[in-house]
Amino acid sequence: MATRLVITGVIGVAALGALIGPAIGAGSSDHAPPAAPIERGASGPLGEIGRRLRDAAPGAVVEIPAGVYREHLRIDKPVRLIAVGAAIIDGGGSGDIVEITAPDVTLKGFTVRNTGIDLDKENAAIRVTAPRATIEANTLDDILFGIDLREAPDSRVTGNRIGGKPLDIARRGDGLRLWRCDRTLVEGNTIHSGRDAILWYSTGVVVRDNRGHDCRYGLHLMFSDEVTIIGNEFSRNSVGIYLMYSTGIEIVGNRLLRNRGPSGYGVGLKEADRFSVRDNLIVGNRAGVYIDGSPFTEARPGEFSANTIAYNDAGFIFLPSARGNEVVGNNLIDNIAQVSVSGRGSLEANRFWKGERGNFWSDYTGYDQDHDGVGDFVHESYTLFENLMDRRPSLRLFLFSPAQQAVEFVGRALPAIRPEPLFTDEVPLMRPVALPALAGARATRVGSLLSGAALVLAGAGLIALGGGVRR
Amino acid sequence: MTALPIALVPVVSARRAPSTARNIATVARRELRDAVRTRWFWLYTLAFASLGLAVSFVSAAGAGGAGLSGFGRTTAGLTNLVLLVVPLMALTAGASSIASDRERGMLAYILAQPITRTELLLGKYVGLGGALFGCIALGIGACSIIMAWMGAPSSPVAMLWMSGLALLLALAMLSLGFLISVLARRSSVAVGTAIFVWLTLAFGTDLALMGGAIALRLRVQSLLALSLVNPLQVFKLWSLHAIEASLDVLGPAGLYATEEYGRGLHLIFGACMGAWIAAPLVLAALLFSRRSPL
Repeated sequence: MATRLVITGVIGVAALGALIGPAIGAGSSDHAPPAAPIERGASGPLGEIGRRLRDAAPGAVVEIPAGVYREHLRIDKPVRLIAVGAAIIDGGGSGDIVEITAPDVTLKGFTVRNTGIDLDKENAAIRVTAPRATIEANTLDDILFGIDLREAPDSRVTGNRIGGKPLDIARRGDGLRLWRCDRTLVEGNTIHSGRDAILWYSTGVVVRDNRGHDCRYGLHLMFSDEVTIIGNEFSRNSVGIYLMYSTGIEIVGNRLLRNRGPSGYGVGLKEADRFSVRDNLIVGNRAGVYIDGSPFTEARPGEFSANTIAYNDAGFIFLPSARGNEVVGNNLIDNIAQVSVSGRGSLEANRFWKGERGNFWSDYTGYDQDHDGVGDFVHESYTLFENLMDRRPSLRLFLFSPAQQAVEFVGRALPAIRPEPLFTDEVPLMRPVALPALAGARATRVGSLLSGAALVLAGAGLIALGGGVRR
Repeated sequence: MTALPIALVPVVSARRAPSTARNIATVARRELRDAVRTRWFWLYTLAFASLGLAVSFVSAAGAGGAGLSGFGRTTAGLTNLVLLVVPLMALTAGASSIASDRERGMLAYILAQPITRTELLLGKYVGLGGALFGCIALGIGACSIIMAWMGAPSSPVAMLWMSGLALLLALAMLSLGFLISVLARRSSVAVGTAIFVWLTLAFGTDLALMGGAIALRLRVQSLLALSLVNPLQVFKLWSLHAIEASLDVLGPAGLYATEEYGRGLHLIFGACMGAWIAAPLVLAALLFSRRSPL
């Protein structure tokens, strides 16, 4: 007990010295502050930012200069805390780092790093428990939970970079979590190497222009209604966007790329209602769109339009329970299975065309003699191999083999063993609906050209060698 | 075939004693030249290249122009093409090699030179392997160039992997072809047997395994292990693994393979393919040097 008292005393004196020292120094000499980040604050209960906050009046703007601040903050009055220069708040690998308990707080421009890794306590870089917070342009690094908003409605989370700890996926925390945060704006953030970005019980949230990669769920909605998800990019996660028990969701103009793994979906919908999925680019996922019990009430058909769904293992996977979806005006391009039903079942309660408009199917074999942009024959999907795969997934092992082709040929040639068509598109489109372009394809062009040329030269060289030994 | 004795002159009249390596090289060069001069070789090359180009064109015409990529139809189509054409090419080439020479009395003639039977066999093997590689490289290289030209997405690394693995597959099938050739009495029988073996490997075993998987409810482990018996499946799995880094596209069995063995899969596939290259060839060499009639 005595030693602890002594230590506290020493730290107190040191802190006092640190506080007074610069003030005295500033009076006597006028040399410029060093450019490199300097260590500030002591490890006492209140660090330098903590003291500045303590002394600030409600409503004040507190500007923090560049430096490394090893402290944990609690902001309990409405202030604007703004970093001018590279201000780094380092949690030293323990606990939460910034806790905001007052409404109308702004935290802007900081680097917050190094939380604890205690999953039970949900160690977070920034935790907000009051409404109307603005978390803007911060960089979060090496953190368990990133931004954790609990009952903080009308907040703004914009332009942050959130990077998790290099832990096993089960030991990571959520990069972003909203719990009862109605009408919150989440815009322009980048989240990587975290667990999920997740919305719980939050109504009227707008999620716009964010990027999420190498996480588990790019964006996960639980019981969150009237959410707008626009212009985000979710790539290389386990799941891109997953809706559960949520109503009134707009998913528009997002890019969902290469979300893979045992349950990898671009967009997944579980018992969601009144949803609209439009203009998204869904490429290279295990399943482009996964539909389980959605729409839930059939109050309004689930809408899928103008999406480009390409190169996924399956374009759509429907659980047999799914009914009441309208898939119209999409591009379905070279998915290994364009549409499949998990297990046995039919898709007759879902529609793949409406009026004079269906979808563009890259595997459509008909033609358009009357040039009205719509194929003259119905597009029906009934490949025997896909049917077998749906029933027995282990047969996927034989994909891309001649045996697969043989089975499909048999299925086409012998109507007796041909499965019932999974779905019918009576007015398949002959041309794709406006295809979005993906950048970055050009780079491999030169490489392909060179490697192709090298191969051809090698082949020709060998042949010349063979022909050249004539004497 | 009057060119033959001339080609073998260096062996016979070499000032230094003929070494094994030199004998093999001489036979290999002759074999390569003969192969290049046959119509069969060019027909196969032409078929392989043009089918490959057709696959590339079709997949690029779909939506490839938008720069969307994945393990698209192109790579899948090329894999399929290699699985069909390369084994047929290699098996028939191997099967007709020794058998047709024997039928024409060439074998007795060549073996009258200072060259052992094993050297002759290996020389022929190397020469035909070179010819097959030339054919594969021309075909896949042409596809790669055309696709790059059209701006279709294709990965140079994928194409190089594909060519290399196709060569290994060709060598394995060539070994098998040589074994058939050594065993068969007539070249027509040899080629017939080769085509039967090709049908079995390309369709028969996979279809049987598929049926078995459905009827016997095989576990994914057994299914995976059984499929590795077929060198064509090994090629397919290996190229997918190399190009995609994960076999999860192949469902539960693929996922199991990736999760369980990870990068060790390269070793497993390599060992399977190596066994398929070495075992029939060694067997063929043993049988050929022990008893095979001239």
